[in-house]
Amino acid sequence: MRFIPLREDNAAMCMAIDEAILLARAENKVPDTLRFYFFTPPAVSIGYFQSAEEEVDFKKVSELKVDVVRRITGGGAVYHDSRNDLTYSIVVSEKNPKIPRNIRESYRVICGAIVSGLSHFGIDAKLAGINDVVVNNKKISGSAQTRKRGVLLQHGTLLIDVNPKIMFSLLKVSDEKIRDKLIKSIEERVTSLKKEIKREIEIDKLIDCLKRGFEETFEEELEEGELTDYEMKLAKKLYEEKYSRREWLFKR
Amino acid sequence: MAIQKMKKIEYKVPGGKLLKISAMVESDKIKDIKIHGDFFAYPEESIEKLEVGLKNIPLEESKIREILENSLREVELIGISKEDLLHVLMKLKD
Repeated sequence: MRFIPLREDNAAMCMAIDEAILLARAENKVPDTLRFYFFTPPAVSIGYFQSAEEEVDFKKVSELKVDVVRRITGGGAVYHDSRNDLTYSIVVSEKNPKIPRNIRESYRVICGAIVSGLSHFGIDAKLAGINDVVVNNKKISGSAQTRKRGVLLQHGTLLIDVNPKIMFSLLKVSDEKIRDKLIKSIEERVTSLKKEIKREIEIDKLIDCLKRGFEETFEEELEEGELTDYEMKLAKKLYEEKYSRREWLFKR
Repeated sequence: MAIQKMKKIEYKVPGGKLLKISAMVESDKIKDIKIHGDFFAYPEESIEKLEVGLKNIPLEESKIREILENSLREVELIGISKEDLLHVLMKLKD
């Protein structure tokens, strides 16, 4: 499996690169791939089935100069606070023997790699629900997966530091959801690596630990590589023609 | 002349995700519909196919159920179920 070192890109480019890897993998031009990235500037990503108008407070978005992007994966709206929020993405062929056909089971496999990675970092995390990772029953990581052309793409966040106030100011929260969530506020339900480990997080060390988690789960060594010219060309095209466009953002 | 009404329905699936439906309804017939939410569906395009399939369909439980069954066969839904969709779609009826 190929490993792409940590990158920092704007939201549309982050999503364009993920899809470019998926497409290149589907054409057998690249191996299975794991990478990590930051959304810089900070961004809100919305799930494929969400309505941007209904989820995002665009007045606040322009005030705070935050990017907004629609993902190709389902799930909910996420605030990615640049370096306070490490994103992983893994692209694997469905033929990989470690990947169950069933979506729920495959979430468990990949989220399990995050759990074992965190254990190397000294954090006792567990799987929760279908695609969450929790520490002391508080969510620290959420993931979303899609499958296209025989390839699985799963990306997800790992909270390094959490700022629920900014997050909530950017998202419109529907009454129904408030009701459900008022029971426990975000502060009570979400944690971060900083909170759990009570010191500054060394990103390089964290990534090394997570890599080990993936290596153990997939019983395969990660080999450091880079994005191919083909992938970068595809990514630029997807950036220009899809992810940076209003048509895509307001598609649904 | 028949009047088209814009309807929005939100439903938090117990223990699941949020389902939001926006539809144009005319004499208990769906003229246009968008199914939104933070759920997962594999493959994703199945939801768009379902939206197309629901156009011009009368809001009758058996009809809607049939379309759900046909459009979502082999589709893996996470956070919502066909029953949840049926429940919300039937709420579009006056």
